Amino acid sequence: MITRLVATVLLLLVPVLGVWTFVTAPANGWWMPPTVSTFGPDIDYLFYLILWMVAFFFVLTEAILVYSVFVYSRKRADKATFSHGNHKLELLWTGIPAALLLVIAFSQMGTWAKIKFRGNIPEGEPLAHVWASQFDWRFQYAGADGVFGTMDDIENPFEFVVPVGEDVLFNLHSRDVLHSFSVLEFRLKQDAVPGMSIPVWFNCRETGSYELICMELCGWGHYKMNGRVRVVTREEYDAWITEKQADLMSNGMEERS
Amino acid sequence: MKTAVPARPHAALLFVSIAPLVASCGFEPSAAPRSYELDASTIEALDGYPDVQGQIRGALAMLYGTPQEPRYMVTGRWLDDGYDPNYPRYAAADGGSGAFDDAQLDALQADNERRFSKQLALLEAKRFEEVRVRRMPELDAYWRDVLGRSEELGDGFADQARRTFVEYYPTLSESAELYRRQCLHCHGNSGGGDGPTAASLSPRPRDYRRGIFKFTAVKDKARPRREDLLRILTEGVNGTAMPSFRRFSDAQLHGLIDYVMLLSKRGESERLLVAGFEADEVLTAEMVVETYMEVEDKWRAAEDYFVAFDGVIPEPTPAMIARGRALFEDDARGGCAKCHGVSGRGDGDSAYKDPEHTISAYDDDWGHPIFPRNLVGGIFRGGKRPIDIYRRIYSGINGTPMPAVGESTGADGERLLDDDAMWALVHYVRSLSERPDGFGLVPIAHVARSERGDTDASAKHEGPDPVGQGGAGR
Repeated sequence: MITRLVATVLLLLVPVLGVWTFVTAPANGWWMPPTVSTFGPDIDYLFYLILWMVAFFFVLTEAILVYSVFVYSRKRADKATFSHGNHKLELLWTGIPAALLLVIAFSQMGTWAKIKFRGNIPEGEPLAHVWASQFDWRFQYAGADGVFGTMDDIENPFEFVVPVGEDVLFNLHSRDVLHSFSVLEFRLKQDAVPGMSIPVWFNCRETGSYELICMELCGWGHYKMNGRVRVVTREEYDAWITEKQADLMSNGMEERS
Repeated sequence: MKTAVPARPHAALLFVSIAPLVASCGFEPSAAPRSYELDASTIEALDGYPDVQGQIRGALAMLYGTPQEPRYMVTGRWLDDGYDPNYPRYAAADGGSGAFDDAQLDALQADNERRFSKQLALLEAKRFEEVRVRRMPELDAYWRDVLGRSEELGDGFADQARRTFVEYYPTLSESAELYRRQCLHCHGNSGGGDGPTAASLSPRPRDYRRGIFKFTAVKDKARPRREDLLRILTEGVNGTAMPSFRRFSDAQLHGLIDYVMLLSKRGESERLLVAGFEADEVLTAEMVVETYMEVEDKWRAAEDYFVAFDGVIPEPTPAMIARGRALFEDDARGGCAKCHGVSGRGDGDSAYKDPEHTISAYDDDWGHPIFPRNLVGGIFRGGKRPIDIYRRIYSGINGTPMPAVGESTGADGERLLDDDAMWALVHYVRSLSERPDGFGLVPIAHVARSERGDTDASAKHEGPDPVGQGGAGR
């Protein structure tokens, strides 16, 4: 009798602790940071759609499990009985998940197309080429002539400076292995693949500094492969570019201490 | 019938699943090593003199402390002058080493105000108890101490509290801790470039212990200036495993530089002591202190060797670039093509022992084979600004066969390369990696839009750039 109670309570702890973790997560700072990109809310909608589905079935199945353990437990000496199964039930638990998968599949299509389809990528030249390598990020801007691959290109390590409220298009490269460009606040994640130039875009609505994280295990230094996306006003962006151009053409005299 | 099932399987399962979680909480990296190691070359040179090895080990510990407590010994002369390298923030006559001028101190303070804005806001709101700096235990402890003396400090407390944060500058032992977390796994406990991850790297991480640093703004193989090391920390070394460390505050970066300088000076002293012993077969206290001061003086003099161009950089006109090319290929003037090759791909015959270009003709000062840079790849480790390339050509690259030609003179006593010729070379070298057509790869988005319906055919243009944007080069 005591074993049965202990087992039931322990099992009950799983759904209770599981749900409790989610409910208290935002207050503990464990939740996703608020989104600041234009397509962020679409991603969040899908996230919550799936989360609620999963939550419902998690609680349901756990409840059935706990109930069964409590009600149907037998003494060890009892013999098990053979059961062939139930055709109608099997149809049900295959049909419902299949239908739900279709719901998820269809509801994400528009969002995926909006963010990732090549035809929907913002018009115009990319703002920058982003180079991932073990274990840092480098951002290359076209410079004064607006053409990449020329002598006046600006290169900046670690920090990606972009204007606020504008579509920012960049091409993502890797110099060595797989990396992944990910900014939680933008709800953006894109793998960098060696030999490929992958167009990526986002539009950030709020100025600020956001952490850029490599989301693909890329080697022993993966843990330290982070960077920063600094979103500034157009004026600040232009001023920053001018400053970088001045540094590029510096004669080094101001480095004297 | 008996079964093998334990009576309380659930409790056991629970324990097994939770125990690792509990064990991993509060995990701290293992404590600092107790001492620095001697260089392998020292042990080899002093093979058969275990006493002298012990003396050198002891002398170095006295001069530079230990990884747990790195600290410069202050000599009598320094005490008289007020000079103390343990405190870079204070002026050289004020019990510091005068590493910063007023403008730099202001900049450090402004950066601290940004970094500690949360703490400063709480101080402003007089919510003193809530002020914590969990990521910086030493600073946190210092702050708790200030807070504990608030009554005793009286009216001065508010000022003292603010200064705790805006004037923050890490001690050597704090910086040593940061070094252990961020740098040691490549650069090693003693700065020998022999950390656990070093073996998997090409190029190998820098061994600081000779005082030789490759990418600096100084000539004549002088020691690097603080600004040079800071540039490496903030920009990283492109094409190598050295990343940018901009995530740390200016004060933390300068602290790291302080510690790297200490490791470097320690290593240099070690080499000089061994050389001195080999010459005289004795090791005296005077020798030790003299060596120590000599090394420190070399670092203090770094600024005298500063190289920059006092003027306006000439435009990279086609004529300029053509002139640069002629100099590049002229063995009597620039002589670059001898090693870097006429193509600039690092395939000049004199850099290799064999005609197939597989065996390097040179080792660097650290004993590793070294190959000339492929200038076409567009990756310049010491920076790609014109002034960076200018400095590489002017002062050479310390520790490597790349010579300093900025001040070399011909038979007539004239400079082989005057300012204009230098810049012609710089512009030519930079032009080698220019590739405006199809930079990187063809942006797929434009192909898709402009040639709608024909994306498969255009995708064929999207191979990797044949001239090699990628790759660290050699």
